[in-house]
Amino acid sequence: MIEIKNLSTNLGDFCLEDINLTIDDREYFVILGPNGAGKTVLIECIAGLHRIKHGEIWVDKNQITHLTPEERNIGYVPQDYVLFPFLNVAENIAFGLRQTKYSKAEVQERVKNLANLLGVSYLLNRGIRSLSGGEKQRVALARSLALTPKILLLDEPLSALDLQTAKYLRSDLRHLHKELGVTTLHITHNQIEAEEMADRIGILDKGRLEQVGRPDEIFFYPQSEIVSDFIGTPNILECEHCRTLGQGLTEVKSSGLPIIIPHEGNTVRRIALFPRDIYISETKPPGPQVNRFKGTITNIKTSGATVRLKVKVGGNTLQAEMPRDIFEDMDLTVGKEVFLILKLRRIRVFEGQDSG
Amino acid sequence: MFKVLKGVGGERAFKGATVSALALLTIFLVGIVVSVLTYTDWNTFVSAILSEEILFAIRLSLSTATVATIISILIAVPVAYAISQTEFPGKNIVDSMLDLPIVISPIALGAVLLVFFNTQIGGGIDNNIMKFVFAVPGIILAQIIVISALAIRLLKSTFDSIDPRYEQVGRTLGCSKPEVFFRVTLPLAKDGLIASAILTWARAVGEFGATVTLAGATAMKTETLPTAIFLSLATADIEKAIAVILVLIIIAVVALLAIRKIIGRRYPL
Repeated sequence: MIEIKNLSTNLGDFCLEDINLTIDDREYFVILGPNGAGKTVLIECIAGLHRIKHGEIWVDKNQITHLTPEERNIGYVPQDYVLFPFLNVAENIAFGLRQTKYSKAEVQERVKNLANLLGVSYLLNRGIRSLSGGEKQRVALARSLALTPKILLLDEPLSALDLQTAKYLRSDLRHLHKELGVTTLHITHNQIEAEEMADRIGILDKGRLEQVGRPDEIFFYPQSEIVSDFIGTPNILECEHCRTLGQGLTEVKSSGLPIIIPHEGNTVRRIALFPRDIYISETKPPGPQVNRFKGTITNIKTSGATVRLKVKVGGNTLQAEMPRDIFEDMDLTVGKEVFLILKLRRIRVFEGQDSG
Repeated sequence: MFKVLKGVGGERAFKGATVSALALLTIFLVGIVVSVLTYTDWNTFVSAILSEEILFAIRLSLSTATVATIISILIAVPVAYAISQTEFPGKNIVDSMLDLPIVISPIALGAVLLVFFNTQIGGGIDNNIMKFVFAVPGIILAQIIVISALAIRLLKSTFDSIDPRYEQVGRTLGCSKPEVFFRVTLPLAKDGLIASAILTWARAVGEFGATVTLAGATAMKTETLPTAIFLSLATADIEKAIAVILVLIIIAVVALLAIRKIIGRRYPL
């Protein structure tokens, strides 16, 4: 368990203001925030790389605030991996083990096991420079896990990777976390990544922890305008009727509007639709009319490269968003009838008790 | 004037001017080397180089430069690391002071040392601990004074170019500060270290001003290669002087080629 109490510090342009946070044992916690929010400073404080001005950091009832990094036993994977270029893959993974009492054979065995776990066994004798981004990330993870740390800190582990590699690594990271049960703090600016990975999310902006909660709590009950703006101000629809269709699908009704959602099980109380996940078409889209509705534009607002439109559909008014160049290619005006297409996979579901 | 040089014509004229400067300098350098080579015939060259005096000078130069380089690097590594990684008040002033030996004339540095050994403390060291004035240790000391500043400058830029995050990651992997210096920073600085050692060594081999002022120019005693040139010219023995010049040119070329090779394979940081 990590407990951060009243942590404040500043480092150049970045600062942290009175951070209070408890991360439970075996939890996968994601700090989500825009660039420059102070995310990296926060995990570097936990790793012991900066002296903090005020506050305390505790791990499992031991205060570690004044310990040096080597005394903390915290695994740390920096953003661009920082593998040692003068060592090969196996030597990089074994780096931390060379300080310990392990014999040479034990070190080799441990390196082999870690390489297997992360799927980099075939790389062990390779130099660092010949590795791809995804391979480097796996090697850096193996290296940080070699000393069986109690806590693992990941600084934007997926942001430098191409989409496909990031997708694989995302599921591998979850898998690894499940298998090793190491308490993990992952920082990212990517909302979808945070939502998919996190047990809980903390929203950090300008050095302040704005909100902490489960992903659905954050999306359905943003507690401040900053959080709401950052996550993209979703359309929240109350559901008055809920019917399971099977095969992972449920139909809900909101003000009479029948919407199919990717969900099975408990009753759904609310759904959230992000404006960027609602498409607008001037003509009736072909195919089955699932999650496709006719509506009337009531408002058009341009801000920078995006255009936000309000569309009245039955008893609901939905906010949609589209890139400006696409908007200009279409002939959309207030009062015009259009068709809305809701992206099924991106509909968020809230089934819990009200909390905010 | 720059208006006239617009367009393709201007581009050509500019390229022509810079390349001509390069060509002129290259021709000049090659020309003087060739003129030295053609001045003497092979047999005179070989007999000059195999004379006892020149062999002594070669041995003395190579051994003193090697000892001076090892000591300078041992001093320069901690100093350069401290300047590169530590912030303290007055750092800029200290940093500039360390450059003084690079810009001050070597003969002035030698004279300063000579004056020091004439003071009470310096004289005590010279008479009771180790003889420096007009002796071989004086050569090494003079070389160290001249080259250690160069070694510090080169190593500082090496340490500056190392991302501090390598050390940070090393620390999170259980290394203490000294461990991380030896296991992470020094291996990362290896190429820079070797290149600085070669450059400072080559500079030490060629050092004359400070050496001759402190250690004197006694044949077969404190006669290094540059001193040998000086002594040969003083006695109008041009063949001998040329033989020694060629030895120095060969040493310089080998050193420069070695550095090219090392810098060519440096890690992209």
